[in-house]
Amino acid sequence: MLDFIIKRLLQVILVVFLALTAVFFLIRLSGDPTALFLPPDAPREQIEEYRELLGFNRPLQDQYADFMVNAVQGDFGESLRSQEDALQLVIDRLPATFQLAIAALILSLVIAIPLGVLSAYKRNSFFDRIGVGLTVLGQAVPNFWLGLILIFFFAAQLKLLPTGGGGTLVHLILPTITLATYSIARFTRFTRSSMLDILRKDYIRTAKASGVPTFPLVARFALKNSLIPIITLIALDLGTLLGGAVITEVVFAWPGIGRLLMQSLMNRDFPIVLAAVFIIALIYAIINFIADILYAYVNPQIRVK
Amino acid sequence: MKKNMFMLLAFSLVLLLSACTSGTAGDSSESSVDGNDPTSPKKDSLVVAYEADAATLMANIDVNYVTDAQIRNIYDPLIDRDGKTGDFVPVLAESWENVDEHTWKIQLKEGIKFHNGADFNAEAAKYSIDFILDEANQSFYRSRWVDVKEVKVISPTEIEIITSKPFPSLIQRIAEDLLVIEPGYVEEVGLDEAAKKPVGTGAYKFVEWSRDNYLKLEAFDEYWKGKPAIKSLEFRYIPEFSARLSAFLSGEVDLFKNIPVDSVDSITNDDHSKVAEVASARINYLALNNFYEGPLQDEKVRQAINYAVDVDELLNGVLNGHGTKMTGPLSQINNDYTETAEYGYDVEKAKALLKEAGHEPESLTLTLDTPNGRYPMDTQIAQAIASQLQRIGITVNVQTNEWGNHLEKIRNREMKDMFILGWGPAFDAQSTVENLFTKVAPYSGFYDEELEKEIYRVNQLFDEQERFDGFSDLQHKLVEKAAWVPLWQQSDLYAVRKDLKFTPRVDEKIQAYEMSWE
Repeated sequence: MLDFIIKRLLQVILVVFLALTAVFFLIRLSGDPTALFLPPDAPREQIEEYRELLGFNRPLQDQYADFMVNAVQGDFGESLRSQEDALQLVIDRLPATFQLAIAALILSLVIAIPLGVLSAYKRNSFFDRIGVGLTVLGQAVPNFWLGLILIFFFAAQLKLLPTGGGGTLVHLILPTITLATYSIARFTRFTRSSMLDILRKDYIRTAKASGVPTFPLVARFALKNSLIPIITLIALDLGTLLGGAVITEVVFAWPGIGRLLMQSLMNRDFPIVLAAVFIIALIYAIINFIADILYAYVNPQIRVK
Repeated sequence: MKKNMFMLLAFSLVLLLSACTSGTAGDSSESSVDGNDPTSPKKDSLVVAYEADAATLMANIDVNYVTDAQIRNIYDPLIDRDGKTGDFVPVLAESWENVDEHTWKIQLKEGIKFHNGADFNAEAAKYSIDFILDEANQSFYRSRWVDVKEVKVISPTEIEIITSKPFPSLIQRIAEDLLVIEPGYVEEVGLDEAAKKPVGTGAYKFVEWSRDNYLKLEAFDEYWKGKPAIKSLEFRYIPEFSARLSAFLSGEVDLFKNIPVDSVDSITNDDHSKVAEVASARINYLALNNFYEGPLQDEKVRQAINYAVDVDELLNGVLNGHGTKMTGPLSQINNDYTETAEYGYDVEKAKALLKEAGHEPESLTLTLDTPNGRYPMDTQIAQAIASQLQRIGITVNVQTNEWGNHLEKIRNREMKDMFILGWGPAFDAQSTVENLFTKVAPYSGFYDEELEKEIYRVNQLFDEQERFDGFSDLQHKLVEKAAWVPLWQQSDLYAVRKDLKFTPRVDEKIQAYEMSWE
């Protein structure tokens, strides 16, 4: 087990390192940020002076080496625009992003699992077909479009909910629904197919034959077993929810990491972009690491292998 | 059974959602869904939406207009521009005087207090200028101020500014860049803290700043000009335009700037809303790049393009008339504006000039770079210009750039034949002409050795009439040489709650002190 954990931990480090390396070089392809910060009438000497001050005139590999050495010590530098600690700016946004991602995850599980179970149980019924159709739709609808439509109806027309912003639970409703739609669809389909597998098993037939009533049969015997593979899915999706929140956060003006990342990309505020990528990659890798451990814990086969 | 389960599910979803709302039901000021309720008591708060947060709340650092427009409600300048005419008006300054080419004296008002109770005086004025000049503060304004050698405190109500070179545009720099900060406060709490909890002499005091979310301010009742009519002021950040519009139409937001011209109707059609429009000091133009070795280095070709672009058609067809046509390098709002000859739309002349220059229009292929979304309808304008030039046979390839790339291509002089750009606020000739038509400035893509000498000569002139005549002459010459295709002054379009008394300023600033509810 210890070997397994160490191996997975090393993978976490590798993932974060590779993500940072890729993004470091990619954003530099977009060009030099100094042009965007100085007033347009800034003379060439001052642009050069800033490039030197910020180190953008040095060879790329030197910049990269410096960045990595500092990053390992938790220093991502200061925001180019506001001169505040980049990592701190990102960490300040973490709670908002988590709040949204977890709300979306809970909403998707609460809706998707019963829906998936019911679909499987009533396989090929009218309900099942509608359900499957809706899940396809749910996976196909783009986030930003759904978000705008929800804002239009519930906020602008009906005036029931705020259009955006953060702070209270009311602000959380529309972005949560928007963000959860995709996961609801995914979880429903997954639960359905996983349930279908289980329902075909001999022990279910035996239980059914020996007179176990429907509800306990489904809930206790079938569902429990079909949920094991869902753990991995939840972990993967929580990562996706945290990352996919970029667009939802922008549409709903939600003050989280995704929005900060988007804005910093537009402003070419490199230190913030890298700090945000670091945090997102780290969270993603850690969640998957935990999922692996949990999975091994619930499913001893993995450990043995 | 099927049906029951479904109903149960639907019910539990409703329950879940209502559970979320009930926790904050008492918090009606937050959800402000009541914005349009005519029975509510007289409103004294104002919510302004912006596309982005301020970078910092410290004055004199970030040149971005979004930052500047917000913090100008907290800090006062020494000198400001009149919101209608763009003329200089004293704010914390009482008067100013140019002693000689290197010396300026500024008299300051007395008895003005900062939000923390400290007195405004010459020390604060000096500190604010020194703040820009101090490299440690990394002010993005510094390059404009490097010619300031020293600021001397003569008395508590007078400072003297010594410049290393003649600096005739110093007053303009003071009006556009400089806000007054409280030295004692910054020294006491440190720069980082002062940048998060600002103290100024302005009409509004800092209350709360939630990054990327909102900035809340409240009226400073001891404000030296008198109590502000609007008691609480909030800036809310909504990056996506459609969401901003929805927030406005739902009553959450009372005011926002930059409505796309094709969304004006959705606001004028709303009973609680109106559109306020002003011709801003920001100008848009089609640059004809003579830094690039191509046909546009030839004056005749540039003139031909001036004849071939129908600005009226662009204005009416693409911008729905929201813009004010320009004919020369400066707009009418510019203090040094002179009326110049207009090329006008003349296809025949354009063709003839191209022939004179030795080009068959059909053999010409030009590139036109445009940003996407930086200026009103910029990409569409570029495409319309391309099709206008197509009419005389020129093939134009339109290249759309992300804004940062566009700017960088200009700065690195990688632009080819033509590009679209805006400039502003352009209130005086020097900051426009010097920064656009000299060799060191790539923003118009035009430079002429003789004209450049003339520009630098006129820049140094202190005599107002001589200076005005000099710039007037330059404007005529720039038109003759077809330095660019002038397009228009941008129209600043604001979405405004119907009962808000609001007059848009020519300098894009949003000063809540000047507003009130009917």
